[in-house]
Amino acid sequence: MKKILLTLTTLFVAILTAIADEKIILLNEGNWQSDNGRLSYFENGRIVSNQWFRDVNGYKLGDTPNDIIQVNDNLIAMAINWSNIVQFITPEGKAVAATEDVPNNRKLASDGRYVYISSYGHECKVNGVMKYFTKGYVAKIDVNTFKVVDAVEVGYEPEGIALYKGKLFVANTGGYAFQEDHEYETTVSVIDAASMKVERNVETNTINLYGKMSQSGQYLCINSPGDYYDIPAAMLIFDCQAVIDGKTDATCFQRLEYAATYNCVNTDGKFFAIGSRYSYYTGDYTFNYISVDPVEVMATKGASGVYEKMPGTVREDIMKIQMPYGIYVNPYTGYIYATDAGEFVAAGGLYQWTPEGKFVGSYKVYINPAHFLALKPDGNGVDEITGLPKCQPDDSIYSLQGIKVSKPIEGQIYIQHGRKFIYKNQFK
Amino acid sequence: MVFFRNTLRQPVISLCTIAFSGICLNAAPSHEPNDSAHLLDNVEVIANRKPLATSQTLAGSKLQALSSTSIADALKYFAGVQIKDYGGLGGLKTINVRSLGSQHVGVYIDGIRITNAQNGTVDLGKFSLSTLESVSLYNANKLDNCQSASEYASGATVYMQTRRPTSDSIAVLGGIGSFHTYRGRMNLQFNRKGWSGFIDGEFLNSKGDYPFRYKSEFEDTVGRRKNSDIEYFRIEGALFKGDFASHLYCYVSERGCPGGIVRRLSDKYTNVGREWDKDIFAQVSWHHTYNHMHTVKINAKYTHEYLRYNTNYPENQNTAKVDNHYYQNDAFASAAYAMRPWGWLSINVGYDARMSWLDADLKRFSSVRRLDQKAVAAIMAEWRGFRLAASALYQHYKDHTKLKVGAADPLQKVTPSVTIGYNWHGVSARAWYKCIFRAPTLNDLYYTQAGNRNLKPEYTRQWDLGLEYNYFNNRWMAQAQADVYINHIDDRIVCLPLKGTYTWSMMNYGKTFCRGLNATMQGQYMAGSWTLSLLTSFTLQDDLNRTNPDNEDTYNKPICYSPKFSCGITAIAAWRWLSLTISELHVGERMWSYADPEDVLKPYDNVDLKITGRWRNFTASLEINDLFDVQYEHIQRYPLPGRAFYFTLSYSLGNKLRK
Repeated sequence: MKKILLTLTTLFVAILTAIADEKIILLNEGNWQSDNGRLSYFENGRIVSNQWFRDVNGYKLGDTPNDIIQVNDNLIAMAINWSNIVQFITPEGKAVAATEDVPNNRKLASDGRYVYISSYGHECKVNGVMKYFTKGYVAKIDVNTFKVVDAVEVGYEPEGIALYKGKLFVANTGGYAFQEDHEYETTVSVIDAASMKVERNVETNTINLYGKMSQSGQYLCINSPGDYYDIPAAMLIFDCQAVIDGKTDATCFQRLEYAATYNCVNTDGKFFAIGSRYSYYTGDYTFNYISVDPVEVMATKGASGVYEKMPGTVREDIMKIQMPYGIYVNPYTGYIYATDAGEFVAAGGLYQWTPEGKFVGSYKVYINPAHFLALKPDGNGVDEITGLPKCQPDDSIYSLQGIKVSKPIEGQIYIQHGRKFIYKNQFK
Repeated sequence: MVFFRNTLRQPVISLCTIAFSGICLNAAPSHEPNDSAHLLDNVEVIANRKPLATSQTLAGSKLQALSSTSIADALKYFAGVQIKDYGGLGGLKTINVRSLGSQHVGVYIDGIRITNAQNGTVDLGKFSLSTLESVSLYNANKLDNCQSASEYASGATVYMQTRRPTSDSIAVLGGIGSFHTYRGRMNLQFNRKGWSGFIDGEFLNSKGDYPFRYKSEFEDTVGRRKNSDIEYFRIEGALFKGDFASHLYCYVSERGCPGGIVRRLSDKYTNVGREWDKDIFAQVSWHHTYNHMHTVKINAKYTHEYLRYNTNYPENQNTAKVDNHYYQNDAFASAAYAMRPWGWLSINVGYDARMSWLDADLKRFSSVRRLDQKAVAAIMAEWRGFRLAASALYQHYKDHTKLKVGAADPLQKVTPSVTIGYNWHGVSARAWYKCIFRAPTLNDLYYTQAGNRNLKPEYTRQWDLGLEYNYFNNRWMAQAQADVYINHIDDRIVCLPLKGTYTWSMMNYGKTFCRGLNATMQGQYMAGSWTLSLLTSFTLQDDLNRTNPDNEDTYNKPICYSPKFSCGITAIAAWRWLSLTISELHVGERMWSYADPEDVLKPYDNVDLKITGRWRNFTASLEINDLFDVQYEHIQRYPLPGRAFYFTLSYSLGNKLRK
């Protein structure tokens, strides 16, 4: 009995720890050509900084960051689109490397050893040699050297990229179709990540596979904005396993008549999708706020599996947001997040809900908050755990490793009073 | 959505510089409408000034004493004026008056409006000061007794008055300047048997590779502007006889379109977009007054504009490869009639019609045709010192297009304006109100993946209270004026992302409330061979965002890029064959986003210097712009040139030399 109690208590504390240990890096796109892309760092109910990258590194992030992923325990990668930079940082925000060999970079995927990145550009420096492509390409960056080691051409303007069982799945948009001399793309390119060879192009008959793409195991949620004229927005539930199993193109995906402009996956493996179907002909648009069960959608060929609901008040709350700009579920804790771009030249908002959908709070971030990354709870952000004895007030500063520091270095992260902070020399 | 914004050259925000005015003239109703401005060198004109409209003018020698060649360089010295400049000699330069937005400012050459049905803005960089007698700014509009309807149709008006030659002469000019700038100009003019005219040709080539530096706690970026070169040829001819005036204008240019300075690891990637313009217009104007009672004025104009924007180059391997061509044709005619049944009353009616055609090889675009008709009825009355001017303007817009979205519904509105004034011993008091809208442009309505055919017009309402004092004697001339004003702008036409999509659209979104004070003061002293002038201007303004009362971050906060305070001082000293001009322009702090108090552009001071000397048939001048090499921006991350030198030498021959 005592043992059970102890186990229960441990479990309880563990859950509490997990819930409280919210660490989110939020990528604010800023305004195009304004050089004001920024990172916000959110931890346990407060914004630590809305210029986190600059605080830590002493310089600015760049123009129009487009994606952020965790590569491995020590590394995070970001695609800084208009700066033509792939920026690598540690989970503490410290810049470790950057490369400009993949211009007009879009979205990222990684297996921990390599970073795969899609690009709208036509040039890429591979192993020090310039390589040119007629259409777009996917590059492979070795995170030991931070150099591009391979690149392969896919369709025009490749966007979303996901890794499943050693294969890369790349959504092609052809997004420049309304100004360049080619049509919208309709395929998902399948690349063998090891050899960087395109093995197959899955024809989806759905144009412009553009924007955010989420992955739930073998399933992808792919948005198609259509052409904003004759062809309405749609979304695809895409089955990577079916592709690997060699099934016919038509059985590898299911098209749904909803927009998934902003989408994410929750801890149950379901997708949340919000978006609007717009046509310049009619000028009006219809909104959808849905959750999608990919297993059910594939099993019923789209007859069911789409639900006009989200946990708790999330759906109703998001409907009230002025300009939704991103949605996310912390994979470690299940907490739900959404952002509001508001008026595009003013600070955007970050909204937080519990996994059950109870609204927790909203926080001011920066312009066009769009892309999220949750950090693994590591027990460092523990200031909200209850039941622990209160520490004596102590102004000592500790490193993240818990070592007492007498001369902190400006811009580094330390712990003081149980909280992480970035050291700034106020007497300078 | 980066790829979209490349090509839609929509003005997004406006910004500010300011300054002062020169001599004001000819605002009073007169029997000789419109062309009295060519008398401007004559100081007597000022004595008769009975200003009713709020106006500022730079004319004659003062205009030439100011720096440089572009109209924008002269206009920045007016109170209440903001020039938006993306930097470099080749950058687009537009004017914004009292924060109304550049599309509310009508720009006129000899009383005929320069229009652009496609985007509604006029690039001031295309017009030269060298052929002009004067440049005037009228808030609301000029008040004359025989005006065409389109002269009433903007929130603020800029008049460029072409100089009528009074002699025969030939002049050539060569110039060289910083950043690989070379300029040549040739002018031929004549005045024979009542006919006068000129041919003026100019060539300019500049690499525009000026250095810039961003230095802050978080960066120290040093570089040279790339792709900011320009080359243009401008040839103009004009022919005048009595009541008849005509003008032929041709401008051909190629320029680079530089982008914002953003974080890059090297200089490897630069903007490669280039723009070509070919603008041609021909205009004729005739007016006549019968029996001092009936005045008739007829104007006609034909404009052809070609624009190409291209990024499809081998060195562009990383952004969208665009190559678009736009063709605009525009035919305009107007007739105006004024009657003065009694000395104290004048009645003016006018009708204008303009047909515009726009063609472009954009995808999902086909030609658009717009018929724009305007009619005006106006009166002006004077009784003792009291004066009144009132007008009602009717506008009708109708578009035709084969575009699948269809044409916008026809737009028709009547808008009023009223001015009252009182003169007493050189002191004039005035109060005016004007309501006017700008119709959505063809880009606003039909541009691929942005146009919105359901747009409403963008309305402005302006109130103004002003006082002006003029004084002169043999040696002294002084003028001071101050106006307080309130502007409301409703249904601003802006490009915004559509909720829940990845696309953008033009929308009516935004209200602005602006209150401000414009003041100018100037004096001139003449003694012996000395002429000393001092011109000052001053603008204090609260330009507030009243769009969304629920948003405490933006509501009642200043409009981005709008300074609260700006002022300018110019001193000109002329002695026989030598003249020296020093100007200083101060522009206060401007915020460029509401997101962070750090997001501001710092105040800046710009000091310009110009020395001109004449010897026999030669004139030499040296200009130093931005003497102290202050680094500043109008648009954030678009650095403007720092210190620059320009030297010009000209040689002229004629029976009476005129610069």
